[in-house]
Formats: sequence, C-alpha cells, structure tokens
Amino acid sequence: MESKRNSTVDDTPAHRQGFSAVPASGTGLNGHKAKVMDPERFHEASERILSAINKVIDGKADAAKLALTVLLAQGHLLVEDVPGVGKTLLAKTLARTIDCTVSRIQFTPDLLPSDVTGVSIYNQSSRLFEFRPGAVFANIVIGDEINRASAKTQSALLECMEEHQVTVDGTSYRLAEPFMVVATQNPIEMEGTYPLPEAQRDRFMARISMGYPDMDSEIEMLETHQAISPLSKVSAVVTAADVAAMIATVQQVYVSQAIKEYTVAIGRATRDSARLRLGASPRSLLQLLRAAKATAALDGRDFVLPDDVITVSESVLAHRIILDRKAASSGDTPQGIIRSIVSGVAVSPDAVPDTRRRESLRHSG
Amino acid sequence: MTTTPVRDRGSGSGPGRGSAASGPSQSPGPVRSGSGPRRQGPGAFPWVISAAIAVAVLGTALSLNGVLRGWAWYLPVATTVIVVALALAALRWIGAKTLVVSAGAMAALILILTFTFFRQRSFFGLIPTSETMEELRRLIRRASDTVLSESAPVAPNAGIVLVTCASLGLIVILVDALAVPLSMPATSGLGLLAVLVVPATIKPQSVGLAGFLATGAGYAMILAACQWFAPDSHAQSGLPRGTGHLRRTAITGALALAIAVFLPLAIPGFDRGTFPQGSRLNPWGASNGLNPMITLGNSLRNPTNEGRIVYTSSSSRPVYLRSVTIDRFDGESWSPDDRNSTRRVGPARITPGYGITGEVTRDITSVDSGQFSSPYLPVPFAPESVTGLSGQWTWDPATLSIKSDSSTSRNQQYIVFSTAPKITAASLLQAVQAPVGVPDEFKQVPANVPDIVRRTATTVAAGTTNPYGRALAIQRYLRSPDFSYSLQAPVQGGYDGNGMSVLADFLEQKSGYCVHFASAMAVLARLEGIPSRIAVGFAPGRMTGDAVALAGQGSFQEYEVDARDAHAWPELYFEGLGWVPFEPTPSRGVVPDYATEQSDAGNLSTNLDPNVLLPTAPATGPAVSPLPAPAAAAGGEGANSSPLTFLYGALAVVAAVLVALSPRLVRSGVRARRLQQRSSPGEDRNARRGFLRRRRYQGPPANAPELAWAELQDLATDYGVPPSASETPRRFSARLRGSSALGEPEGIDDAGHAAVESLTWDFERHRFGRPLRQGAQPAADRIAAVRASLQGNARWLKRMRAEWLPPSVTSRWGHIAGWPFRLVGRSVAGATRATGRGLRRTGQLLLRLGRR
Repeated sequence: MESKRNSTVDDTPAHRQGFSAVPASGTGLNGHKAKVMDPERFHEASERILSAINKVIDGKADAAKLALTVLLAQGHLLVEDVPGVGKTLLAKTLARTIDCTVSRIQFTPDLLPSDVTGVSIYNQSSRLFEFRPGAVFANIVIGDEINRASAKTQSALLECMEEHQVTVDGTSYRLAEPFMVVATQNPIEMEGTYPLPEAQRDRFMARISMGYPDMDSEIEMLETHQAISPLSKVSAVVTAADVAAMIATVQQVYVSQAIKEYTVAIGRATRDSARLRLGASPRSLLQLLRAAKATAALDGRDFVLPDDVITVSESVLAHRIILDRKAASSGDTPQGIIRSIVSGVAVSPDAVPDTRRRESLRHSG
Repeated sequence: MTTTPVRDRGSGSGPGRGSAASGPSQSPGPVRSGSGPRRQGPGAFPWVISAAIAVAVLGTALSLNGVLRGWAWYLPVATTVIVVALALAALRWIGAKTLVVSAGAMAALILILTFTFFRQRSFFGLIPTSETMEELRRLIRRASDTVLSESAPVAPNAGIVLVTCASLGLIVILVDALAVPLSMPATSGLGLLAVLVVPATIKPQSVGLAGFLATGAGYAMILAACQWFAPDSHAQSGLPRGTGHLRRTAITGALALAIAVFLPLAIPGFDRGTFPQGSRLNPWGASNGLNPMITLGNSLRNPTNEGRIVYTSSSSRPVYLRSVTIDRFDGESWSPDDRNSTRRVGPARITPGYGITGEVTRDITSVDSGQFSSPYLPVPFAPESVTGLSGQWTWDPATLSIKSDSSTSRNQQYIVFSTAPKITAASLLQAVQAPVGVPDEFKQVPANVPDIVRRTATTVAAGTTNPYGRALAIQRYLRSPDFSYSLQAPVQGGYDGNGMSVLADFLEQKSGYCVHFASAMAVLARLEGIPSRIAVGFAPGRMTGDAVALAGQGSFQEYEVDARDAHAWPELYFEGLGWVPFEPTPSRGVVPDYATEQSDAGNLSTNLDPNVLLPTAPATGPAVSPLPAPAAAAGGEGANSSPLTFLYGALAVVAAVLVALSPRLVRSGVRARRLQQRSSPGEDRNARRGFLRRRRYQGPPANAPELAWAELQDLATDYGVPPSASETPRRFSARLRGSSALGEPEGIDDAGHAAVESLTWDFERHRFGRPLRQGAQPAADRIAAVRASLQGNARWLKRMRAEWLPPSVTSRWGHIAGWPFRLVGRSVAGATRATGRGLRRTGQLLLRLGRR
C-alpha cells in the first residue's frame, strides 16, 4: 500500500510547506521561538492527542502516552514487537494527530544513506548543485523495520537523531523542530537483519513493545477496523507550534535536587548490579530525566516526582543495559532487572535516616 | 458545607480524640485548615492547670493528716508542691518542650528538697553535694525505720517528711504529665489515688471527709482546666449543653454513688477498721524483725508462722526470749533507746549494771534464730555471755539488750549463758529499799501522763504497803475480768500503737493486747515509784518434740516460737533482786510464781499448751540431736532485708510507670513538636517574648510539610503500614489509602483520605517542587483527621498498641538497642568472608602446587 521508500504521507499535502531545510547557520528552532504553555492548555492539548491515538489503537493507552512523552521530551522512540500488533499504526497515528510533516522510511537492506539524509543534485538549469532533502527532513520520521537496513544507513539516521542536523557535502542542514524518529523493529524475524548495536540503541530515548491487546480491545478492533482504515478518520488535533510550545513547557518542568540524586542513584545502582554487564550511561540518565519531566508535565505538574522517574525507567533504561550471562540464562529480563533495581533504591536517603529498619520491617512484615 | 460524619465509637478521652465527635454547628469540612482562635499559644493555660494540680495534690495531702501526726509537715509539703507546680507552669509558659518541662520540674523538685532539708549540707543551700547524699541516706534510713517501726500517726520527723515531700512532688509531675502532654486528664486521677491509698490503708478512719472533698475538688479543677483549654472542646463556644450531657452525667453519678454506698454492704470487711479488716497492709513484708511494739501487733495478727525460732534451754522455768526493752515513756511514740554511746562490744561477757544479792540460777540456752530477722538478738534474761554469734554485736549495760548495726539475727545459732536470781514472793516482799542500782531514766515519770492514768494508779495502789504489793495490785488490776485481751479492739478503736494517749485510751476501753497491758503496768509502776521498763520479745513457745543435748547439761526439750508468740511484758526493778518480769497480759505468757497471789495460784490462765508449763517433763525425744555447732553457721549473714527496700520499691514503681508511659510520651511529644503551630501572623506574641524565642518566626516553619509527612509516616507505622525507603511518597500514600487501615475512601473516612492526599501533595510539592516562599498550610487538622480515621478503623488491640507502644517509637528504640549486635554481626560476617577468601586462596595455591 505504501511506497517502499521516502513516501511522504499523502493526506496532508497542505502542510508540507512547514517542511524546510534550514541551513545550520540559521537561527534554529524552525523560526518560531516556542512559548511556554499554561497548564490548562497543555493538559487539553495532550488530552486531545491521546484521545485521538486511543481512538485508532484500542487498548494501548500506555504505549500512546509513552510515545507522546518521548515526543515532548525530544527523544526518539523505538517500538519493538512482533509483526501485526500496530507498531507502525501507532507511529503513524501519532504523526497524524499533529499538524506537522511526517515522512516514512521503509528500511531495506539496499537503502542508502543518501536516501535518508538527502543528496546534492546538479541542477541543469541553474547549473548548481542543489540539495534534495531526504526523508529525514520531517517533524516525525517513521523508520519501519530499522534493523533491516545496512549498518551504514542506520548510522546515517542515527547521526540525524543525535545531532538534529544533516551534513551533506560539507554543508549542515538543520532539521525541523520538533523532530522525532519513531523506529520499529521486529525481534522475531532476524534473518538478514542488522540488529542495532548497543551504541545506537542508546540514542533512542525509549523502547516500548506494544504487546497484544486484551480481549475486549481486540474484539473492538475487529469491529471497527473491518471496512476502513481508522487512520483515515484521524485529523490533526494540534499544530506543530503547539507541540513546540508543549516541548518548551516540558523543558520548564522543575527538577529538584532530590530527583537528580534519585536519578543518579538509579544509574549507579544499574552499574553496580551484579546481574548487569552494562549499566545505564550518563546519557541514558539524562534521557530518563527528560522523559520524567515530560511525564510530570503530562500529569499536570510543574515538577518531577520520583514516581515520574519510576514510570519511565523501564522503557528508558531496559534497552540500554546488557544482562550478565548468568542473569540472562536464568531467565531475567532487562525490564525485570530494572524494576527490581528501582524498587531497591531509596527515594530520599536524607529524609529517611532509618532506611534499613523500614526495609527490614517491610520484609519481615 | 456538610457536617463531618460522626463515628459513634466513644473511645478515647481528652482533647486528642475529641475532634471526631463534632457538634452540629461546627467542623465546616473534612479537613479544617487555618488556625482557630485558641491555637494562640499557652496563654493562661499553664498557670491554670498547674494551679489545679497543686490544689488537687495539696488537697489530697490533707488526708495524710493522721498518717503523719499534727500539721507541722504540711508547710514543707505545700512549699514543695507549689514550687514544682510553678516550675511546670513557667516552663510551659515559655514554650519549653514536653520532656524539658518534666525534666525541669524534676530539677525544681530536687532543688526545693535540697533547700528544705539539706540547706546546711549543700552548695549555696541549693546544689546537692556528696554531703547531701550522705544526709539523704541517713534521712531515708530514718524514714524507713519510721515506716517499719512506728504506727500511724507517726511523728513527722525529717526523714518521713522528706519522703512525703518527694513523693508528692513526683505525683505533681506525674499528674501533670498525664494531664497535659498525654492529654489524659481523666487518668491523672490515678496519681491522686496513689496518695489516697496511703491513708485509706493506714488510717482506721480511712481517707477522711476533708481530704476526700479536697481531692475531688482538685481533680474536678484539673478536668475543668483541661476541658476549657482543650484545642477543640466546644466548651468555649458557649453552646448550651444538650440534655444528653446532663442525663449522662446524672446517670453516671447516680451509678457511682449507688456502687459506693451499697457494694461495701455486700462485702464484709469494708465497714469497720482498716482494710482488710483489722490488719494493716504490710506490703514491704519481711518485717518479722520484731521491731518493737508496733510490728508486734502486726505479728500477732499475722496468721502465718514467720520468723520461727527454736531454742533449747536448761532452765526449769518457761523461757521468755527478750529482744529489747523500752524505757522512755515520754515523747509521742515509744521506741527503744539504743544508748549507742554506752554500748559495749562483745557479748561474750556481759555484766549487768546492778548488784544482785542472794541466790541465782544459771541456765544455758541454745537458740537457732532461723529466718527471724532483727537487729536485736532474742536471748533469755539476763544474759551473761553469748557465744557463737556471727557479725559484730554490742550490748547495753543498762538494759542488757544485744544489738548489731551491721548484721541481723537472721540465721544465727548461738548459746546464751544466763543468770536469774531466785525470786520468791518472800524475797520480793523484803525488797523494800528505795531503788538505787538503776539509772534515773527508769524511774522518771514522764510529764505528759494523762489524768486517767494517774487516777488509775492512785486507785489501784490504794491500800498497799510495799513495792511488791503495789506491783501485784497493778497486775491484778490489769488481769481482772474488766480487761479483755483483743488484738482487734485497739485497731478499731484507733489506739493501736503506743504512747501516753494510747495508754489513756486503753485504760478507758479496757481492751488490748500485750503491748497495752505491758505499757500500762510499766507506767503505773513508775507512777508508784517502782522503776520499770517494757521488755519486748517472745512468750514461751511450744515444744517441737525433739530433744537437744546441751553441752554438759544433758538433753532438753526443744521449743519453738514464731511471730504469733511475739510478746511484751513489764520488768520492774527491785533493789537487790534486779529486774523482775511480771505478766499483766491475760491469757498470754506464764505468770511467774512470785507474781501469783496465793488466792489464784492455781488459776494460771494461759493459752499455751499445758505441757509448756512443765518444761522439765521427761520427754526423751526420739531423736536426740547434738547441738549444732554455732560457729559452723557463722557465715550466714543471709539476705538482709534492707529497710530501704520499700523506698526502692516505690522508686521502681514510679520508674516502671514512667517507662510504660514513655513510648506514648515520646510519641506525643514528637507529634506536638512536628505539628507545632506558630502564631498567626496578625498576633504579635514574639515581640513579647522575643528574647526567649529567637528562632521562632511567624507562620508555620518552612519544613512544615516535611514534618507533617514524617508524622503521617509514623502514624501509618503505628497502625501497621510502615513506609519503605524505596517507596515514593505517592506510592506510600496510595498504599496507605488502599490498606484497610484507613477505611473506605468514601463516607465516614473521607476526611482521612482527603487529608492523606493533601498531605502527600504538600510534601511532594515541598520536596520536589520549586522552592516556595510562602508558608505551608498548617497540618495539624489534617493529621488529626488521618488519626481519627486510623483509630476508627483499627481494632482496639491495634489501637492500644498504636497509642501506648507506638511501633514508630519502639522500633526506633529497638534499632538503637540493636546497634551493638548488628556491629558484631557485621564484623563476624566480614571476618567469615575474609577467612573464606583466605581458605580459598590457600586451597588454590595447594592445588597449583599439587599439579606441579
């Protein structure tokens, strides 16, 4: 149904002018300096987005919320699950609810880096090399089956993700803001794939797996999705400017010293854990905190709670850590280990001087 | 707004709980915020409550009149109580913390006691020094002597007044602690009750009306003060009380009155005398030491046979074992005069201070004192030498009483050589010379002899010509049928004890026991010019059935005496014969031949086993056991029943009460500190006392949400939902709300749930949010709401535990107490690990070596 490569979503051509390749020397941030939203509007906007997504994807409110969280935290999302559970649908719905440019790349082994980033073409009429932006020049880039592309192509995309810019022929092009890559990955069919190395997985803020919907949702899905694609009913509910403002709001969320300490404590705990070969990197902690900020904002708060950190910790950290051999063979999952590590970290060590007592009380009781 | 749901579960009293019960026109919402008009600091409350407590305790002390004689003791008591109460009030007024208030009052108590009793022996008259402690020890010993040896009313000597003052001061602190920080004004009555118990058990007429009324009034004042100043009583709102109040009051009062009036009728022993009927409570026990006169009455009334003494004597007459004599009949209460200055060491050779003409008989008596514990040694009169004693003993030449300051008669086995002049009626008749061989103190007639005694003496002695005749006349008078022997009558008549006034009562009532008869005869004899004294000891005992061989004298019957044989008898001095015992007590002891008039010679009334009268009965016992070697048992100092025991006991009780209360005390103190309400911004209290409260400022403290949160966590811990370290505030509060401890979120516990939620939010905002400049919401109301919910949903056992042994306090203490064990455990674990590593390494090394 969709073109194999570089097919921009065709429903919203009117908004394509939002897409522009701004040279890196520009002022950045796509021209409009985002203003902080007030809480009511923020809440309202986020509710609109979530309800729109939930209308399309039944029973996956958590995934939808996490996707939105990652978007607002200026991260990238890796959706990993078996085929047919709606990975791509989630990505596309999220993109569609926002009035912004969306491009989709179907990764294949023969996809070239220039297909992603763009290429300079000699213009006969002007007799100049002209930059033809690649698929990455969009607010939301959907990278389908990212593990099917060659390592070279993958890293071209990953550079864009990290730097928010594209460098072709020595010229850097700034990517649009907001910019988010939603990549999907199929963990089952590994034949002829190039699994993302750890270093590259680290660039995704969060990895989620959709999981199968529950029975009611599945029945409802069969009911509603029979005739028409539910996607067709989705229209944009917020503008790109709104999203930028929301992102600015998230950036304003207050992080107290206690939360920073708590985040670092979690990171250190993963590094000290005997069950992990590789713990969380400093970058991952930064991303954890950003995701927590977005969570807090979505929850209507202007400060981060430990609960926010805990909420996103599994999704943010689990795909970055590497299990110890023993732990892996004994059936531990990264999620489980993260969960147990987080549940063992004291929330506010200074406030509770007698942690051991309480711990022991709890365990004995 | 709607009214708060009312939980009708009327448990708990006092202001802490009162918030749950709300009248129709108050409590605007589930979580009341803002401070009411009464949260404005102490104001007059400390002074009023301290005054109430002082009045109550002083009123209660009124009832001690009769336990202590006269009223002289009341001034120091009043001073002490007032000073302690003032200290409490002042400390509370300046806003000191709960424990500081109590500790400060304690210090004030010590200071005032030092000032009152040890002014000479302390630093500046206030600061206790080591000298003070010595004096204190002396006074306490004196007090314990008084308690053990005297009968109520006792003379208010410095020791007993000190103890009284100290006790009442402590009672003030206790009552205050119960009423104010623990918020249990009703329970504070226990402290007053503790005082009332003393007169109730000691005085025959019990507490007395004045004391009871004063106590009741003081107690009512305490209750009123607490109610009036309680944080959420509706007394101040001026609302008229509902009829329900009145009806409940009336019913309760009527019921209490009915029980008080009718229950005693159904139970015997309440309506007469002291409780239990006729016998004094002697909780300190172990006073079988026959401390003269008073314990004597108790011993006689004591149905058990404590303090058994066995003895074997070569004497042909019944043997009276004599411990001590009483010869000073002036003063409020008679007690032995130890004559410590003239005592001589070493009872191996005892010489009487007077001459005896004529024949004497010498006897050997071996005594095993067993469990009988007394500083005085029971010996037959008149001892010449005592051997086999352990410890240091001294003897008094004038009275021949043998005494030890360091050891007691307990577990002593000794042999007494005694002499007694052969006294016959004829020799007594000839003893008409004026007594010259005795000190004057035995002749002295006290100045305060009541008229009835003098009259009796004159009447009785009328028509007699010589001292012997007069003595016989007195004995006859006392043994006449007019007099009856009764252990209970003096107790019920209120003249149990000794002293001139008791004697007067006895001569009127003509009923009493040996103490009364003996003292009557002694005093009457002195009035008639015969030197006299009262001997205290044991009447002749019963045969045990064993025979004991006495060295060089053959085998004799063994006798036993115990507390029931305790006896007092008069000794009269006749020139040339020495001290001659008489037996005026009917139905006790044995009347000596010389004291028997020919007319009733065959009428030796006695309650003794008849064969006691025939001590020489040739009863060759089946087992003639050799006399136990006295020296062998010399090591037995035994468990010396210290006279201080009762004081330590009292202290231990107070300490135990404090220990039992302390978790609650600590808990409520912590809570009060956490929820401390500062003044509302409009009111300037700080200006008034700025110098005392430098660190106080307007509004709640900046970390109020933290404190409130800590309080919430502790509350949850108390009710079985302890927080865990890795739990976020939100999760903890969700768990708390989800647990059954807080009840259902809807309905009656709505307020509690809302309060938890709001406290959580406050804490989160404070801890994780942007620093806020403005003050936080006061949390006391919300905490109270949570507490009410927790209390309402907990079973009573859990509620009791949470209130009295709050886990949040006890487990912290346990944690502290367990610290050394954990340290040891950790080091042991470390050592084990290190050893294991070492062993492993050695093993590897060996393996490697083996492989080579």
